[in-house]
Amino acid sequence: MKHQIKENDGALVIALEGDVDLKTSPDARKILLDAVGRNLPIVVDLSGVQYIDSSGVASLIEAFQKARKTGRKFVLAAVSDSALRVLNLARMDKVFAICSNVAEGLAKVR
Amino acid sequence: MTTLHVAGRDHAMELVAALGRDFSSTLDIELTLAGALRRIADHVEAEAGALFMLDAAAQTLRCHASVGPTDIVGLEIAADQGIAGRAVQRNIGEIVRDVSQDPQFNRAVDRKTGFTTRSILCAPLSVKDDRIGAIQLINKRGGDGLFDDDDLNLLAVLASSAALAILNARMAAKLVEQERDRRELELAAEIQRSLLPQAAAEDFPVHGVNCPARTVSGDFYDFFALADGRICFALGDVSGKGMNAALMMAKAASLFRCLGKTIHQPGRLLAHINSEIAETATLGMFITMVVGIYDSRTGIVRFSNAGHEPLQLHAPDGSFAEFAAEMPPVGIIAGLPGQLYPEISVPLAGGALYAFTDGVTEGYLESGRELGLAGLKEFLSRNASEPMPRRLARVAEALTKSQASLRDDVTLLAVDDRAAAVRRAIGPPTPTLDSASVTVLRFRVPAVADRLRLIRTVVGESSRLVGCSESVAKDVTLAVDEACQNIIRHAYKDIPDGEIVVEIVREGGKLIILLNDFAPTIDPKTVRPRNLDDIRPGGLGTHLIREIMDEVEFLEPPFAGGNVLRLVKRIA
Repeated sequence: MKHQIKENDGALVIALEGDVDLKTSPDARKILLDAVGRNLPIVVDLSGVQYIDSSGVASLIEAFQKARKTGRKFVLAAVSDSALRVLNLARMDKVFAICSNVAEGLAKVR
Repeated sequence: MTTLHVAGRDHAMELVAALGRDFSSTLDIELTLAGALRRIADHVEAEAGALFMLDAAAQTLRCHASVGPTDIVGLEIAADQGIAGRAVQRNIGEIVRDVSQDPQFNRAVDRKTGFTTRSILCAPLSVKDDRIGAIQLINKRGGDGLFDDDDLNLLAVLASSAALAILNARMAAKLVEQERDRRELELAAEIQRSLLPQAAAEDFPVHGVNCPARTVSGDFYDFFALADGRICFALGDVSGKGMNAALMMAKAASLFRCLGKTIHQPGRLLAHINSEIAETATLGMFITMVVGIYDSRTGIVRFSNAGHEPLQLHAPDGSFAEFAAEMPPVGIIAGLPGQLYPEISVPLAGGALYAFTDGVTEGYLESGRELGLAGLKEFLSRNASEPMPRRLARVAEALTKSQASLRDDVTLLAVDDRAAAVRRAIGPPTPTLDSASVTVLRFRVPAVADRLRLIRTVVGESSRLVGCSESVAKDVTLAVDEACQNIIRHAYKDIPDGEIVVEIVREGGKLIILLNDFAPTIDPKTVRPRNLDDIRPGGLGTHLIREIMDEVEFLEPPFAGGNVLRLVKRIA
């Protein structure tokens, strides 16, 4: 799994890429929690995530809950079909704000 | 002895007593004989003397001790040659006063040694008709230089006491040797017993019994549980008895135990054992052998029979059905590479399948009657209510009660499906792999996060192969990944070096994935999907599995421990 963090006009765009599974989710979790710690609104770009499992979803949930506690916005954007299927199965589509692309996500968090 | 001079007689008696003491306390009979010969020669006042003994074939007389000016120890003459040879053949002693008048006298020895033999006193060494050799004394010193009847009588007495000592010593040596052989045989038997499996708990489905006719046995049986709960078993009978058969048995039993751990198809396993044994077997030796695998979840035994007695299935209704061998015994011909022994699949349906060696059916009962196949069936029917170990022991007891010793090794093995059939009947219908099932792939993988991607790739491709749509293949991949994660994180938790066996099977319109781990058996009731309204990280995996798969269940824990999770997805 690879990742990229860009600051875009007062918001953080975190792009994850590759498989987020039991092996890589601890990294994903750290990246997401560190980003939330910077007190900026967050857009997680999941367009490059072809596979995510329950541990990956759990990392997203944890970061999301921490952002909410500190009053920061946290949205998912450009979720690949594969990842969306998992979020649907886990009923997390009702929990996360999911935007169709990063621009929409940025608009939503500002 | 009555003709002995009184004075000389006392002395002679002392000598007899002394020699008797020497012989009875000796550890080295040859040394004692040499000493005795010297004392006898001194007493009789002979110039020289020799003690000859027959070889094992009674063809040659060999000098084992000699006194006098020339040492002839090691000298060999034909058993009927010379004066000594005559004494041995006739089994009586004699005095030859003038050897030059005796055509039987062998001059060759004198020529060789330079000694001049004038007269000979000779007595056979024998106990009754058991001829051992002869003692010969040469040339009496002093007087007229002739031996007399007193000398002959004395020598006869001393010779018979020496003969008895030699015979005793030989018997003692033989006993020591026999004792050593017996102890070595005992050790071999102990090793052999250790090759047989430990007695299983009474409710274990497979049991066996083995009574060797001699100390060691050419029969064997073995069984062990595989990780997935199936039980692998074998029973074999090596041609012949005794040590060579026992050694062959050890090899066959070891091959079964070793190869059986990885080869779970009886026909293939037998083919492997056959080629291994045929490669090195002694000509003319072979093994009749049955190898099988029993699944308590289905009650089905799959087995292959190489030239062995037909197996007998005792059905719950009391009837018997038999399954004869389709292939020759193993060890005769190596066979073509990859050639398999045909397998027979038999549903036990609550019955018991018996394999046994001919030592059972050809064994004698206490009445002196041969047990026979009909007798064995009757015996098994009569004791059908007994627990299996008891039932087998009853048969063995009946055959060992006979006055006659066992004719042949007695070995029985039984696969009892009764308890498992009850479990199958009262429990939830256990889904099984029926004959229409096709194993797509079976692999063993370390239970670590690092291998999940590999598992996903394999499961995804396998799902596509059996006809799953792309989206179903992805879902199944996720479910299997989640199930493997549960094994890694919860079942093995802190146990290092865990492994998962993944088996992907297509059965009709179903894709079935069996995940077998070797962690401590878990209680399926503790594995629950979490409440999704409670939004928190973790615990989603089980929910995802149940959401995706049509059937999710833990199968009955294998005997060997561990867990088997069965996931089923209907292929649209």
